[in-house]
Amino acid sequence: MSFTLSRRQFLLSGTAALAAGALGTLPSWAQSANLRLIFWGGQARADRTYGVVDLFTKDHSDVSIDGEFLGWADYWPKVATQTAGGNQPDIIQMDYRYIGEYARRGSLASLDSFVGNGLDVSSFDEDQLRNGTIDGKLIGVSLGVAAGATVINTKVLDDAGIDIDPMRWTYDDLLTQGPKVSQKTNGATAMAPDGSGIELLFENWLRQKGKALYADGQPAFAPEDVTEWFELWAELRDAKAIISPDEQAIDTGQLETAPLVRGKSAMNFTTSNQLVAYQTLVPDPLGIGIFPATAPDSKGGHYRNSSQYFALSSTSAAPEKAVEFINFFVNSPEAAAILGVERGVPASSAMRDAVAPTLDERSQMVVKYIADLGEIAGDVPPTPPASAGEVEVALKTKSQEVAFGAQSPADAGPAFYDQVIESLGRAS
Amino acid sequence: MTDAPMKLTVVGAEAPAWRKRALTILSHALLIGASILMLYPLLWMLAASFRPENEIFTSASIIPSSWSIDSYFRGWNGLRTSFSVFFTNSFIVSISSVIGNVFACSLAAFAFARLEFRGRKIWFALMLMTLMLPYQVTLIPQYVLFRQLGWVDTFLPLIVPKFLAADAFFIFLMVQFFRGIPRELDEAAMMDGAGPWRIYWKIMLPLSTPVLATAAIFTFIWTWDDFFGPLIYLNQMRDYTVMLGLRTFTDSTGMSDYGGLFAMSVLSLVPIFLFFLIFQRLLIEGIATTGMKR
Amino acid sequence: MTVQHVASTSATSEVPKTSVWARIWQQDAPGYLFLLPWFIGFFGLTLGPMISSLYLSFTKFDLLTSPDWVGAGNYVRMFTNDPKFAASMRVTFFFVIFSVPLKLAFALGVALLLNRGMKGLPLYRALFYLPSLLGASVAIAILWRQIFAGDGLVNKFLSVFGIVGPSWISNPNYSLWTLIILAIWQFGSPMIIFLAGLRQIPQDMYEAASLDGASKWRQFWKITLPLLTPVVFFNAIIQTIEAFKSFTPAFIISGGTGNPINSTLFYTLYLYQEAFGFFRMGYASALAWVLLAIVAAFTAFSFLTSKYWVHYDD
Repeated sequence: MSFTLSRRQFLLSGTAALAAGALGTLPSWAQSANLRLIFWGGQARADRTYGVVDLFTKDHSDVSIDGEFLGWADYWPKVATQTAGGNQPDIIQMDYRYIGEYARRGSLASLDSFVGNGLDVSSFDEDQLRNGTIDGKLIGVSLGVAAGATVINTKVLDDAGIDIDPMRWTYDDLLTQGPKVSQKTNGATAMAPDGSGIELLFENWLRQKGKALYADGQPAFAPEDVTEWFELWAELRDAKAIISPDEQAIDTGQLETAPLVRGKSAMNFTTSNQLVAYQTLVPDPLGIGIFPATAPDSKGGHYRNSSQYFALSSTSAAPEKAVEFINFFVNSPEAAAILGVERGVPASSAMRDAVAPTLDERSQMVVKYIADLGEIAGDVPPTPPASAGEVEVALKTKSQEVAFGAQSPADAGPAFYDQVIESLGRAS
Repeated sequence: MTDAPMKLTVVGAEAPAWRKRALTILSHALLIGASILMLYPLLWMLAASFRPENEIFTSASIIPSSWSIDSYFRGWNGLRTSFSVFFTNSFIVSISSVIGNVFACSLAAFAFARLEFRGRKIWFALMLMTLMLPYQVTLIPQYVLFRQLGWVDTFLPLIVPKFLAADAFFIFLMVQFFRGIPRELDEAAMMDGAGPWRIYWKIMLPLSTPVLATAAIFTFIWTWDDFFGPLIYLNQMRDYTVMLGLRTFTDSTGMSDYGGLFAMSVLSLVPIFLFFLIFQRLLIEGIATTGMKR
Repeated sequence: MTVQHVASTSATSEVPKTSVWARIWQQDAPGYLFLLPWFIGFFGLTLGPMISSLYLSFTKFDLLTSPDWVGAGNYVRMFTNDPKFAASMRVTFFFVIFSVPLKLAFALGVALLLNRGMKGLPLYRALFYLPSLLGASVAIAILWRQIFAGDGLVNKFLSVFGIVGPSWISNPNYSLWTLIILAIWQFGSPMIIFLAGLRQIPQDMYEAASLDGASKWRQFWKITLPLLTPVVFFNAIIQTIEAFKSFTPAFIISGGTGNPINSTLFYTLYLYQEAFGFFRMGYASALAWVLLAIVAAFTAFSFLTSKYWVHYDD
């Protein structure tokens, strides 16, 4: 029942894991195993996760699991330090930005040998498996489906008399109707934030044009595309359809800095699994819709991403037990009932059916949104190349240079493109 | 420099009484005004801890629309381990650090300030160098080291370095103050046959109350406020310190309990504030001692 | 740095020693014995990681696989082909040049004011220290936005005079200043050290000066300031080192990005991004050692000049 161990036992198992990793062999721990699990999130996620841990260890008296959770910003330096220090936890929650970095450097184990042999992925969506596959090896088990989404403060839009279909709305709608929000609120609130620095939105726009961010580890767009993108947002900015550069720059990625939360914009460009979290910080009712389309019937921009994964450490001393837990986490209806859609909509269709009746209104909206995305969404892109994280930061900085007038869109396009080439080149 | 005759007439002495009073009032007004600036953050945080969750970031007013102490109860037991455990851990780590730092650093400082030995300047320069390297790049080698010692997941990486005078800041601080203590005192003691240890123990330490109190205050507060060491070296929540517990309230990517965060932030300030209030008395006692002995 | 010979004076007063070992024991041993805890810590815990990082600065090290030797490659790149390095240097120097003198002046001013033996002194002292107690928590980041955002307190105050201010905290022209103000606002630590220094000045010196008819102003210049120079020296060095290494305020306020437009990209923030964000620990280590060289040069210069203006009693 209890999933904690004494410190001495804990240290011993950690030492064993290191020894095993150093020798390149894995001892068979037939009798009992102590697993370590690490994930990022808040208390709400931790409660659900530990609920599943308790449920699992009740039936598996030979396994104990030490859980640890941290906020996003603290999580990555800790995981990096533990990994570099040879003290990696067995089960690690991973994000699409980092999973490639860790997997390609051999820190995460391939799960292929466990498929059908401890890990059941038969009811998993095919695209969710592909998201977790890096260089042909299954590394990450998706914990939830998420897709790019616009979270919308419906009250502000209604008050301003804006009429859009959230599943079909376009950049033109934003340009023509957006200024109404600013007028109605005397400039206090704009219809949308400035999305020119959001990589996910840029990628979505590129894909609608039949391009992509990356292909074969190289940029799959041209400098002119970047210029066009920045010009599109410059036009929206001039029309006061979006917030000012000053206001946008306050958004540093934390939820509480988002213009939507601060009442500066009526929407936010984010991912679908964030709706519930936003709702706790905004008094008005929130809705959900797609990223703006380039034309009402435009398709292929969105794709069904994975909000996060569980991955197995390549130095785990008890990989079978760890996989057994991961399998329980994503395939047991009891676990699904506890987890809900807090990490995203379950990747397994069987689990989706199991959780559906237990969900609250916002969570149901998220499930419905993912389902409605079916015909709009395109294929999942390949795992981003190493240094993709640096590109994401560079786009944000470049977008600010344009928004604050330090560089023209015409100059910013080629400049950004060169930065991308440089970053990707450094990784190899 | 004191024997230089000072012939300038005193402005204050000839000034009328009203002027003196005006000066005092002006000082108070200045201090009170500045205090409000200093207090504002605490007031805001206090207000936030009583506020409804969805009002924290949207409301500009400092007065909440409704008051509730829910956040305190929710926060105290909000994490899987109660905050009473975190407070206990923080006290253990902080108090041990104060003892270790004051003792080990004063020993080293005495050597640098008063003793003559070969290599003194080189060691002093090396000691200062340890202050200059950003910790981000020594973090991983240090982690590997502590792991080999079997100290990860214990308080030892947080406490033992303090007993080994690892924070050069305090050594340097004490050196500066020890050098301000008149040397005639040691020389007199030496005539009486006192060795270095007696001089350190009987003369230096008693005369250095202000700087020792300063070191104690800073050690306590900085250890209490530090979250990076605990973050890296502690894995189990029952070992967490208060600051690490506070970090766990918020996750920038998902649901966070901001009310609980602010409630517990307010509470976490109480011990360091009290520690400061108590130890700052020693700062005042310092003069009496120094003045008398002189 | 003139140091008198505590141990040797005692040696000469005793019987002359002939053995070399006895002389070492007499002269050097006490110093090394007092330094013993520090030596254990330095050689056991500090030196190893420092040397490791120096070695890593000559490698390409991605944290997860073994480092590859690249010679001086990291250093060459830094000075020839890294605009972010140049940007972070500019930001950091700007921050050091403005925040350190202002913070020290503020701290000294308040310490002098608080040293006048007024009523309610402990309370004021505690209140002024309060901002420093808060450290750099999430709460500070939120608070700073409340004050310096477009609709924040500062602009509300300015609007009384009909001035429409920008969003100070997120405008690249002003964002660094909000961090400088934050650094000054947390002036508590140097203030306490100044206070402790003022406490150590013997009161009888002032009494003697007063009897001689010296004005307060003259007492300050002739007694307070000279006797305080060791503490001023300490605070100046420490605050400068700390300012060069300043990380947390920029990290929490910019969410780790150093934006807008890298205007708050502090040197150590850039170093942190390289190390833990982009898996370039080798490059980050090289950045760290360049910073160390700069700070060490500054510190050495300060020590060399200190004999002209720092007055020790010994």
